Amino acid sequence: MNKKIPNFIYTNQFGLLCLVLIFTLIFSTSTDGFTSRFNIFALSRVIAIDIMIGLAMMVVILTGGLNLALGAIGVCAAMFGGWCMEVLGIPIIPSILLMLGMGSFLGWINGIITVKTGVHSFVVTLATMSIYFGFMTMLTEAEAFRRLPELFTDFGSAKLFNKYVSPLLLVSVATCFALFYLFRFTDIGRKLIAAGANPEAAELSGISVNRMFIYCHMLSGFLGALAAILLTTRIGAAIPSMAGQLGMDWLLPAFLAPVIGGTLLSGGKLSVFGTMLGAVLVTLLTNGLYLLDVGEFWIRFFLGIILLLAVLLDRTREYFTLKSVIVS
Amino acid sequence: MKLLFSIVTSAAVLVSGSAFADSSDTKVALVPGGPHPYFAAWERAGQDAVKDFGLGKADYKVPAEWDLSQQNELIESLVGKGYNAVLVFPGDAVGTNKILGELDDAGIPTAALAGCVEQPTKAKMCFGTDTGHSAYLGTKQLIDAMGGKGKIAHFTGFLVDPNTTLRIKAVEKAVAEAGGGVEIIQVIADIDAYEPADEKINAFMAAQGGEVDGIVTTAWVPAVVAAQALTNMGDKRIKMVGIDHDEVVLTAIKDGFVHGTMLQNPYGQGYIGSYAMDKIRGGCTFKADAPWKATAQTDQFIDSGTVFVDSSDVDTYVDAMRGISLEILKTFEDDFLDC
Repeated sequence: MNKKIPNFIYTNQFGLLCLVLIFTLIFSTSTDGFTSRFNIFALSRVIAIDIMIGLAMMVVILTGGLNLALGAIGVCAAMFGGWCMEVLGIPIIPSILLMLGMGSFLGWINGIITVKTGVHSFVVTLATMSIYFGFMTMLTEAEAFRRLPELFTDFGSAKLFNKYVSPLLLVSVATCFALFYLFRFTDIGRKLIAAGANPEAAELSGISVNRMFIYCHMLSGFLGALAAILLTTRIGAAIPSMAGQLGMDWLLPAFLAPVIGGTLLSGGKLSVFGTMLGAVLVTLLTNGLYLLDVGEFWIRFFLGIILLLAVLLDRTREYFTLKSVIVS
Repeated sequence: MKLLFSIVTSAAVLVSGSAFADSSDTKVALVPGGPHPYFAAWERAGQDAVKDFGLGKADYKVPAEWDLSQQNELIESLVGKGYNAVLVFPGDAVGTNKILGELDDAGIPTAALAGCVEQPTKAKMCFGTDTGHSAYLGTKQLIDAMGGKGKIAHFTGFLVDPNTTLRIKAVEKAVAEAGGGVEIIQVIADIDAYEPADEKINAFMAAQGGEVDGIVTTAWVPAVVAAQALTNMGDKRIKMVGIDHDEVVLTAIKDGFVHGTMLQNPYGQGYIGSYAMDKIRGGCTFKADAPWKATAQTDQFIDSGTVFVDSSDVDTYVDAMRGISLEILKTFEDDFLDC
C-alpha cells in the first residue's frame, strides 16, 4: 500500500491532477460564476466531448501517426446518422450503431492507405480530410439534418446529480475505463502498444504490425464518431459546420489532451486517464479565462502559454522526482 | 444630435410608463458569430443602452473564431458570469437553437440579431436587416445613377447564407423593373472574405472592367474590395453602390469613386435589442399580432432598417443610422410589446 501511493505521485497524471485542482481553486476564488450550477454543467458537457476527441487522436498517436481527418470523420458520421434518423426513419440505437460503423469504416480507409503505401499518416489523413469532407458536402449539399428524434437530442440537454453533470460526461468516462481495460488487460491491447513501441520487434515476435495500425485507425474513427454523436445530441442537429471547415476545429483539443496527458508523439506509450485529465485541464483553462474576462482573442494565446508552462513544470517535477528516487 | 437622441429615447421610455425597477439588474451579452467589422457597432450600442435605459450591463463579446462550439462555450461562460439576456448572431441557423432553448429554460431571454434562427425557436424575435429590400433599393439607386441603362455586376456573400439568395433575387427584380435597359453581366458570390474577394473582383475588373457600367455589392467585404479596386484604378466611369459603412467605402464615396452605400443598422440592432431584452425581463411579452415580417427562416422578423447614403450625407452617416433607430424605438413598445 505504502509503495503504491508514492508510485502514483511520480506519474504524469498526478501532476495533471494537481494542476486541475490548482486552477479550479484559482478560478473558483477569482471569478464570478465558476462554481455556479450552470457553469459546472456546461463545463461537464464540453469536457465530455473534448475527452472523446482526445481519445480518438490518442489511439493513432500510439502508432507514431496522426489523424488529421478526425474532425471530418466525425462530421461525416454525424451527417450520416442525421440522414439515417431523419430521412430513412431508422430508430435511434441502430442509427447510432451505423454512425459508429461509418466512423470505423472511414478510419479503416485511413489505416489501409497508410500501411499499404507506407506514406506517413499525416499526409494520408490530410488528403482524406478533404476527401471525406468534400464528399459529405457534395452528398448533403451542406444541408443540416435538424429534425432528429427528441429522445436523441434531449440526451445532450439532460442534467444529472442535482443538475450539475451532463450524461455526456458519463459516456466519456465510461469510454476511458473501457479503453484502459483494453490496453491494460487484453491481448489485443498489449499488441497495439507493442506495435507502436517497436514495430520491428513486434513483427519479429509474430504481431502483424500493419493489422494493429489499421485497428488503431479504425478505433480512432469509432471514437471520432462517438464524439460526433455526443456533439450532435448537444447541438440538437447534424450540421456540416459542427467541427469547423474540414473538421479542423477538432485538431487543437485532439492534440492537446493526449500530448499533455503523457502520450508520446513518437508512439508506443499512451495514457488514457492522462488524456482525460489533459482534456479537463484544457477545458478548465478556456472556461476560466473566459470568466476572467481575458479578451477572447487572447485566450488561445494564453492557453498555449499556460499549457506550455504546465507541461514544463510537470516534466521538471518528473525529473526531480526520478532524481530523488535514484539518489535514495 | 447624440444628446437629442438620448433625450428623446429617455423620454420615450418614461412616456411608456415602464421605468423598470430591475433594469439595473439586466445584463445583456451581445455575441456575434465571430469577428467581423459589421458587428463593431454593437459595442457602442450596448454602452449607449446602458446609459440611456439604465441597464446593469450590455457588453459586446466576440468569439475568437467563426465556430459554433466556441460561440456556445462563450455564451455559456457569460451566463455563468451572470449575464441574464443574450443577443446573438446565430453561429448556425439551426444549431444555435439548442442553446437558445436551454437559456430560455433557465429564464434567460434571447433574440437573434442581424441574422435569424430557424423556427421553431425559443428566440423572442429576429431583429435584422431586410436584406432583400436593401439589395433592391441599392440596385435601384445604382440604375438611377447609371441613367437607367447599362451593364452591371453583382458581388455578394456566402452561398450558404440564405440572405445571399434573397439578395441575388432582389437585384434581379430591380433590374427587371428597369425595362430592359439594364443587364446583369456577372454575379460573383461566396466572396465575403478578403482573399477570395480580392482575387475574384480584381480578376473580373481586369477582364471585364471595360464593359461594365455599374457595380452593386451586397456584402461587406466585396464592397470594400470593389471600392478599393475602383479607387486604385482611378475609374469614375463605373458607378458603384456598396453596402455598410467600412471606412474604405466611405472614403471612396467622398472621393467620388463610389456613388453611395446602403447602410444597415447594426447600431440600432444592438441598442434596441438590449432595450427589448430589458423589457422582456421586466415582464413584457411580444404581441402575437405585432407587425412581424416573415422571412425564409422565421415569421417573427423585425426589420432594423436600411438607408442610402451618398456623397451629400456621407459625413453624417452616424446620424442617419441613429435616426433609423430612433424611428423604430419610438413605436417599438406599442407595436411589438405587451407590458
